[in-house]
Amino acid sequence: MVGLFDRVFKGSDEMYALAEKALADALATHDESTPAVFPNTAYYAACIYEYTGIKVTTLADVKAAMTPIREMMTRNYRTHDVFTSGIATSMAAEVIELCKYLDTDTPYNGEYHGHMNDAEVRELGVPLVTRDIPGFVVIIGPAPSEEEAEALIKGYQSRGIFVFLIGGIIEQAKNRNINMGFPVRIVPVGPDIWSVSHVISLVMRAAMIFGAIGPNQYDEMNKYTFERIFAFVNAFDPVDDLTIACGACAIALGFPVITNDTKDMWKVPKTLIIQEDTKDWIETSLEARDIKIKVTNIDIPVAYSSAFEGEIIRRPDMQVEIDGSRMDCFELCMTKEAHEVEDHKIEVIGPDFDEVPVGSKMCAAFIAEVAGKNMQSDFESVFERKFHTFVNCMEGIMHTGQRDLIRIRVSKNAYEAGFRIRHIGEVLYAKLKNEYSAVIDKCQVKIYTSTTELHDLRKMANEIYDKRDERLAGLTDESVDTFYTCILCQSFSPSHVCIVTPERLGLCGAVSWLDAKATNELDPNGPSQIVTKERVIDENIGSWEDVNEAVAKYSRGALERVTLYSIMEDPMTSCGCFECICGIEPFSNGVIIVNREHTGMTPLGMTFSEMASMTGGGVQTPGFMGHGKHFIASKKFMKAEGGVARIVWMPKALKETVRERLDATALELYGIENFTDMIGDEDSCGNGDPEELVNFLSETGHPALGMDPMM
Amino acid sequence: MALAKTSQKFNSSISAFTIGTDDKTVTLGGENVLPFYTFDAPIENAPKIGAEISDLGMEKNVPGIRDYYAGAKDFSELAAKAAAIPGVDFVAFSLDAADPNGENRSVEECVEECRQVAAGTDLPLVIIGCKGTEKNEALFDKIADALSGRNVLLMSAKEENYKTIAASAGLAYNQKIGAESAVDINLAKQLNVVISQMGVKPQSIAMNVGVAAAGYGFEYVVSTMERVKMAALSQNDNMLQMPIVTPVASETWNVKEAIVSEEDIPEWGPQEERGIDMEIVTASACLASGSNAVILRHPASIAAISEMIRELV
Repeated sequence: MVGLFDRVFKGSDEMYALAEKALADALATHDESTPAVFPNTAYYAACIYEYTGIKVTTLADVKAAMTPIREMMTRNYRTHDVFTSGIATSMAAEVIELCKYLDTDTPYNGEYHGHMNDAEVRELGVPLVTRDIPGFVVIIGPAPSEEEAEALIKGYQSRGIFVFLIGGIIEQAKNRNINMGFPVRIVPVGPDIWSVSHVISLVMRAAMIFGAIGPNQYDEMNKYTFERIFAFVNAFDPVDDLTIACGACAIALGFPVITNDTKDMWKVPKTLIIQEDTKDWIETSLEARDIKIKVTNIDIPVAYSSAFEGEIIRRPDMQVEIDGSRMDCFELCMTKEAHEVEDHKIEVIGPDFDEVPVGSKMCAAFIAEVAGKNMQSDFESVFERKFHTFVNCMEGIMHTGQRDLIRIRVSKNAYEAGFRIRHIGEVLYAKLKNEYSAVIDKCQVKIYTSTTELHDLRKMANEIYDKRDERLAGLTDESVDTFYTCILCQSFSPSHVCIVTPERLGLCGAVSWLDAKATNELDPNGPSQIVTKERVIDENIGSWEDVNEAVAKYSRGALERVTLYSIMEDPMTSCGCFECICGIEPFSNGVIIVNREHTGMTPLGMTFSEMASMTGGGVQTPGFMGHGKHFIASKKFMKAEGGVARIVWMPKALKETVRERLDATALELYGIENFTDMIGDEDSCGNGDPEELVNFLSETGHPALGMDPMM
Repeated sequence: MALAKTSQKFNSSISAFTIGTDDKTVTLGGENVLPFYTFDAPIENAPKIGAEISDLGMEKNVPGIRDYYAGAKDFSELAAKAAAIPGVDFVAFSLDAADPNGENRSVEECVEECRQVAAGTDLPLVIIGCKGTEKNEALFDKIADALSGRNVLLMSAKEENYKTIAASAGLAYNQKIGAESAVDINLAKQLNVVISQMGVKPQSIAMNVGVAAAGYGFEYVVSTMERVKMAALSQNDNMLQMPIVTPVASETWNVKEAIVSEEDIPEWGPQEERGIDMEIVTASACLASGSNAVILRHPASIAAISEMIRELV
């Protein structure tokens, strides 16, 4: 077996010899001052210009370039030699092609495209930079059959990948009547492997135009192409040494090569990939080059818009109802390994809408299996919660609830328009892929609708939900290394910064630590930034140097310090979106909490609105603090001042919302049973009289009365 | 005791940003003090004024504007007249007719109009897109090509369309880009960050941080501009050091003070005067808050604002 290095070296020697011959032939009939240029480019022979700095305009310049080209074909048997030899091979190939353009601007007479002019580089470059064209492939062929050639080309075309064809595959494409040309994004470059230099030239010019890379910037160029140009090569068996040497150039630029040739071929992970089944080439290639395909239109027979989100489907208009309150139904988002997920596979296992009577109930489970390098299982619940919105935005479909308590109604109109259960899968697929493209590389949806299977599946789902809840309950501020900022509200409250921790969600109640974490991953420049917690000042009051620095930075100096667990010492500020406000109640030595919905008076003699006016706007008012409802039962609530035992008054409705969790916290912290009953409300203290409240608290034996004064 | 004056110039400065070519360039920014704080340090480049013309023509404007442009046969003459207004530093051409919900003029026609405007003046050009964000992608791509070498400012790239505009106008054709956000310092910064990440140099970006006519929520504008400048100068935030260009005229000539006729509300006085007043107060407040350039329409407003700048810098 011949080593890969030797094959590259042999191939590059061959190409150099061919270039020498082409040049000699040209000089036999032309003198050295003959112009040697490609039409309509300001970048000379771009490969040669980039890697040698020589601005080729005449045959004499070509001749001068031959020496540095040869010099780049080093033979020290290190990876670097493979790369430089590969690049030099492309330059030699460029010499061969350039010689064709001596007497004409159109040596290929329209049969092949050959050189691409600067306008075409810009035309292709802009959508490549914006990723509207997700990448491009160079297919070097012929394929084993014309059918396979067509399937591969059309497969790439349907995914928006720009296709360059070289060699025998062009003939195959013609025989299958595939429409080719720059506008349809399938370009037949040339019949011989050296025509690949036109593609390399395009890459060089794209990097010079869009990346401001100059000539003689070997490292910068190769870094740019690796990071910014999403290209790859598909080379059909047999791959000769010349092609291998050109492949080495592609690999030097960061473009993986995928082949089905196994003879004297060497696998290099993510770089030189042997995939014998050519049907898998598209998926293998996209994965190797990290290309994610955006879903541009959702394939469903009804309209899709947020305008339909609030649409109600009444029983008489209903074709079918998926009802989680009566039958086994659920929604689930699960992380899988990349090889376990076949992208865009929508499977329906069981009967569809047309197999059940009109107006009947059916059971269904929707499992979206996702895979991605940056996917974390913590995001599953964040994504799953979005299923509701995703499904609800379809016209004629109503969705409520989550997990195993979902209800989906499908209208008769939607059904008649052809809507079937797989379309829900299409929507989940498209929305997950598009909205979370930063973390989801592949997604498949399984829809189960037969009662027999669903019973066990639901059990499985419930086990997963339980595990997640356990994880959430076990998520404490101590158990994580990072908190997150949220500065979403700075547009109207400029100096406010939320610090979101596992045990203290954003004061609006809408941003949990997991949400903030996902936001950070999906939108790294967005409102949620990582806050480390390495330099602790006082863990009891929740004070860290890191947190203070973050607050100072993101409030642009308006705030210098906050504590996370104290209401008296540098309390966290509020934007104005708080679900609740807690305020100090001096007579009882405690705090009252009032929620936004409560319009009545509080024992402080102030209503919610009056308290809000002194709590919002990003200012620190010790003794007053805005927070989310969920925070009330947290063990970190006012931890510095003694915790939830300080809560002396809440509106009844709020008490009921938090009762279960608050009682559990009080039991764990102080051994007090039914703590919520000790807390006053509008019945026990309705007219805002603090004395009345203190009397009530004495009766119930409220612990706050015996605690140290807060002020 | 005599008052000891201390200079409050900052160690950071607003980045200098140049449009136009040859000796007809205009440079914005470069200062290391707050707006008009000439007592702290000299203002590197005085704020600039652009005269706005529209591809809908100027006939629908108040008499003072309409009459000034009367007789201009094409966009080239319109541009020449705009450039001739005393105090004007650059010409801003607004492609209102391209709006897909309006006249939906084709990209080719708009490119031709821009060519005419460019032929009419050698002052630096600002091209203002239409209301359709998608349409602007196609427009700016072709205009950036057509006006290659003129070093124009294209306004604006927004969150929805910055990628194409940055790649095309910013990278492929080396023009300048306006980054537009809606009165929010974080969104303004984020947009600058993502445009820079595409490879556009910070020196090629100007900001339009949003504007309202005075009295129409204008305090948000003041607060945003002020905080942008403070972050740029006191915190050396290089993703907020781009100069601010504010299109004032398109806001102020659309509020009721500028469009209600004198017959309808006689006690408000002459309509045209009110419009000029709105334009002047809004522009002067924008400049005081941090705008490095304003785009105006009425020759009288341009005269007043240029006098104000002359007096203060």
